[in-house]
Amino acid sequence: MPLVWRSIHDMIPRLIGFFMASLAGCALAAEARPYVNDLKAPESRKDIEVIQSALVTALPKVRAATVCIELKEGSGSGVIVSEDGLVLTAAHVSTGVNKKVTVIMEDGTRLKARTLGLVADTDAAMIRITDEGKYPFVEIDRENSARLGDWVFALGHSGGFDKERGSVVRLGRLVRLANSTFQSDCILIGGDSGGPLFDLTGKLVAIHSRVGQQLQVNMHVPMSRFLEHWDGLLKGGFIGEGPFATKPVKGSGFLGLATDARKEGGLRVTKVGNKTPAETAGIKEGDILHSLNGTPLATREQLQALLKEMAAGDEAAFELERKGNRETLTLELGER
Amino acid sequence: MNANRIAIALAIAALLVAPLAAQQSLESAYRTTGQAVTAAFEPQRTVLQTSSAVILDGRKEMSYGIVISADGHILTKASEVADMEKISVTVDRTNYKEVSILATDPEWDVALLKIEATGLIPVVYAPVSDVPQGTWVVANGASSRTTRRALAGIVSAKIREIPAAGGAALGVVLSGKSKAIEIEEVTDGSGAQEAGLQNGDVILAIEGTKISKIEDIAEVLKDRKAGTKVKVVCRRGKREFTAEVRLSAKGEMFADTMNRNDMMSGDFSRRRSGFPRVMQHDILGSSRVTGGPLLDLEGRCIGMNIARANRAESFAIPVEDLKALAERLMKEAASGSAGKALHYNGVDPPGGGP
Repeated sequence: MPLVWRSIHDMIPRLIGFFMASLAGCALAAEARPYVNDLKAPESRKDIEVIQSALVTALPKVRAATVCIELKEGSGSGVIVSEDGLVLTAAHVSTGVNKKVTVIMEDGTRLKARTLGLVADTDAAMIRITDEGKYPFVEIDRENSARLGDWVFALGHSGGFDKERGSVVRLGRLVRLANSTFQSDCILIGGDSGGPLFDLTGKLVAIHSRVGQQLQVNMHVPMSRFLEHWDGLLKGGFIGEGPFATKPVKGSGFLGLATDARKEGGLRVTKVGNKTPAETAGIKEGDILHSLNGTPLATREQLQALLKEMAAGDEAAFELERKGNRETLTLELGER
Repeated sequence: MNANRIAIALAIAALLVAPLAAQQSLESAYRTTGQAVTAAFEPQRTVLQTSSAVILDGRKEMSYGIVISADGHILTKASEVADMEKISVTVDRTNYKEVSILATDPEWDVALLKIEATGLIPVVYAPVSDVPQGTWVVANGASSRTTRRALAGIVSAKIREIPAAGGAALGVVLSGKSKAIEIEEVTDGSGAQEAGLQNGDVILAIEGTKISKIEDIAEVLKDRKAGTKVKVVCRRGKREFTAEVRLSAKGEMFADTMNRNDMMSGDFSRRRSGFPRVMQHDILGSSRVTGGPLLDLEGRCIGMNIARANRAESFAIPVEDLKALAERLMKEAASGSAGKALHYNGVDPPGGGP
């Protein structure tokens, strides 16, 4: 399955089948449900204006909580769901657990963040903003109250962050509902991945996941798929197996240096490979490595054993000595 | 403009959807672009019927236009009518075969057309374009010979400039071999081609700045906008001459600059950047559905559809700019000064009555 996902990134159309189960029956939402949702189609000027005024009213608050998520490989979107900075996004945006990412607010403010857990088979993921603050956030639809034909609107940083433009809003209806996927006719594009889909009251009903060639095919992950794994996501679990994220393989991490043990402790770097993660991070021949992620280093075998337990993309924090000065140097392991 | 980072792709998934019970899938008539929904926009459609124009090349629908005078002045997207062979214009149910192109504005990519008509109903302009995001707007959908269809959407982003993709350029490939700045190739459809520059011409100066190396050109052009013109002094053989060259967006002259989002977009307007100011909406027909009016719920013209940028973003010229542009083009046409700037003027309207 990981292969499938990679080729999707290469834009080769592939087939992804997924199960469409029936939507579980649900209790009526507590909040007033706009009557236009229960019309087969708007019939009058008034009906049209009800949709417009709900949207225009809801928009400023939810837009403030919609963010761009920047990674090394590109950018996606997300939405803040708690005052202390919990962000929901898509698994194929966060791509892994405990990774450093940057969250960009609508006004351009850049915040440090870390990926928490993800669900690889439904494309759900969570991120935590690590810069402290009180953030604007949206309310989640916890009752699974969305119905077929409901008017919804999508926000997202289509094509990447653009401060002059802001996030882009699109209006549409829910045109298919299934257990693990909602389909709407809010038209999405690259960069919208992970962005929010709201109902007319401004409640978060789903997260953008993928599109088909046709404009009508825009797929979202319903809130129920987040809520069922909420604790696991918070704990940073890599949940499920599937096309949307690849589980890191132990021992696949690559550092790219050779060392010799020193009598007085620590490992002396004897060689740094060309264009390796070690070289990119600035490790030089002659540097002394005292510890890796808090574990003191005494022998080469010890370093190898520690690396064996790590995967490509994992963070390696070395306590490093150069010309008598000690510093901590953090790098990301490459792919072996 | 956009960060140059590559946006993470949404998967293009040809969906293998298991058959669904009928009630789980919304019938197409009730979808946002479906007939039942657009029926609610009949008053606005009526305006499109009388005050939008369909621009045809032979029988093929190429773009739309806005009727701005009772006697047949029509605004449309210039780059869509540039290469037409058998241009004709349909307003309401009448097809007009006598069409002249009176003036064009390359910066906004707008052309002023004239058909021999009387008693047309021009659009009424909306007072301002700066309405809240989420406000309904209505535009032309696909058309039939006699009937205009309406599509509805919303204002979906801030009004802003769309800088030329990749910066502004003359549209020439320069020879790296010779010491002089010699043109090795003139790009098709570029301003350099329109101005008649040829292979072998040597560029001596641009806008009064002497050009002695390739970097000098970049320096002169760096703050200029696509659609504007620069005076280029060239040498051909022993003769020196000055050409007025329209600058084009670099990113739009070369088809190989398609990014991932372009590939998932399907159809998009060839000219889709380098606009001084646009409003954005989410009515996303094909790229041929540009050039027509963008209406508000009162049926007033709030803008002119000028580009389908990609599958999720459509641009329109805001009404304030559109009004000023229309006045300027009308004035140009009246004073007869338009001819010298025109490249479409040579188009022969096909003969024969309506």
